[in-house]
Amino acid sequence: MRKATLATAAAMFMASSASAQLPFLSKRTGPPPQQQQQGTLQGVEALKADFLAKTGADTIFFGLDSAQLGAPARTTLAAQAAWLRQHPEVVVRIEGHGDTGDTRDHALAMGARRAEEVRSYLVLLGVPAAQLSATTWGKERPGSPRAVTVLVR
Amino acid sequence: MFSEIRIIAPLLAAGCIATAATAQQPGTAAATVVAVPPLSTPEDKQTSAGGTLSIAWQASQLIAQDLRTTSETMPLPPAQKDYYSYPEVTAPTFSKWRSAGSKVLVTGFVQARSDGRVTFGCYVYDVDKGREVLRKGFVVAPEEWQRAAHKCSGLAYTAVTGAPGAFDSRIVYVAESGAGTFRTARVAIMDADGTNHRYLTTGDTMVLTPRLSPKALRVAYVRYEGGRPSVRIMDVNSGNARPIVPSDAVTFAPRFSPDGTKILFSMMLGPNSDVYVVGANGGAPQRLTTSPGVETDASYSPDGSKIVFESDRSGSQQLYIMSADGTNVRRLSFGGAAYASPEWSPDGEWIAFTKRVPGGRQVGIIKPDGTGERMLTRGPGDEGPAWAASSREVVFQRSDAIGNSSIFRVSLDGSEPRNVALPQGGSDPDWSGVMD
Repeated sequence: MRKATLATAAAMFMASSASAQLPFLSKRTGPPPQQQQQGTLQGVEALKADFLAKTGADTIFFGLDSAQLGAPARTTLAAQAAWLRQHPEVVVRIEGHGDTGDTRDHALAMGARRAEEVRSYLVLLGVPAAQLSATTWGKERPGSPRAVTVLVR
Repeated sequence: MFSEIRIIAPLLAAGCIATAATAQQPGTAAATVVAVPPLSTPEDKQTSAGGTLSIAWQASQLIAQDLRTTSETMPLPPAQKDYYSYPEVTAPTFSKWRSAGSKVLVTGFVQARSDGRVTFGCYVYDVDKGREVLRKGFVVAPEEWQRAAHKCSGLAYTAVTGAPGAFDSRIVYVAESGAGTFRTARVAIMDADGTNHRYLTTGDTMVLTPRLSPKALRVAYVRYEGGRPSVRIMDVNSGNARPIVPSDAVTFAPRFSPDGTKILFSMMLGPNSDVYVVGANGGAPQRLTTSPGVETDASYSPDGSKIVFESDRSGSQQLYIMSADGTNVRRLSFGGAAYASPEWSPDGEWIAFTKRVPGGRQVGIIKPDGTGERMLTRGPGDEGPAWAASSREVVFQRSDAIGNSSIFRVSLDGSEPRNVALPQGGSDPDWSGVMD
């Protein structure tokens, strides 16, 4: 749980500089980031930086009310898949986000669909399913409809 | 301990209510004036919650306050100088109330019992006809006098409208406090008049969409477990909670059946969201929809025979009705916009929904046969209507441009939505039925 929180915070911070993702203005967030654990953080930080450098982006964007992967998304995911195959020890969680203008529960489902589209495409590209999990934040973390690949460990 | 008793004479049959009531339809502008003279006591005796005369006086004020919150009733509040004798409770001087302009009169008494509890008697009269229309008695712990007073308010409301009064009920919602990363979300519960407010979860994990069982004894809600949303059910009094399905699947959108024995919810299977039902005490979930796409926000008809839900199978979110076993699906909404989060009214007459129009979200109602669609709010950030037990009002969430949410209630009579006072921001409100 602590690792997940750290990874989420790190991902959000780095994403804001590396991609077009909105800053972390979340209306409803999880618990606040906890104190860093020496050692583990170094590893995740280094891996995270390498992941971003090699794949270009941790965030895939979608159209409104859509879970379809466009060509740019597929290019990014191909790079993510290649990196993940080279790092079989790394586990990622794909976090899907819904549209801010949507209703609560449909947004949750759309976030889950987007995360699942990304997850199954990565599996299609040869990433072992055990390295991947998917979840949804619905419209609880405002921003564009998207799915973010978050390094858990 | 809250028990209803018969007082002095047997209760009138329910059939008599409608004929005696000053029937009023939604949309009528004028509120019915209800006289609420001070409740009486045969003898002022001390109880664990103070003297019976003092309780009677406070209860009269609470009844007047309750009746002020609805658009159909306008109380003629109690004045302390209007001493009201015990015999007058059952033999009112109707001419006095007629000349005061009231159509309905509420009288009552509070009497200490030898077992430490109190008897709370409540009588409702049709002033024009000069006769009793409803009466009820309750034996309660002295500390529970507010609930008895709420029941009495409900009796007066029923006499006016023919609908149940929702005063003795509870509202649950997500309390939002703090800012930025330190924003917390907690499930909170309160009485319908805003009293007895308390938090049911601690705020260490995000929570969403709490829903009350019909008698407000349990709450089903979504909590993030290990980063995933899943539905839990909590006993309101003990605080004990458990997941409704033992799985790490994404589950959400819970809603109790009208009898409280079942819970409808949504579960993701791959990219698919479908509607399932599970016993409120556990058991294996049963899948009710199979269409690809997002099926969610299911709600039973009051007799439990049908379910309204939303689906995007047509390309946009629309409302559908099916039989409780998942068969006989038909589309309900055709208004040229996206429709979501339907809830069936307790009297079965209406389905409340959220409509996604260009520029925002609004709350409206539609008949189960697809006619009578009408918007109750103009948005732009309204969603998630939940019915009051009266079926004449809904509570909903209103969000402003920067994402701050609060809770509003709006009556079907076309009046403006009113803010529900909360200690902090709030979202995802749900309103229980009348408690036992």
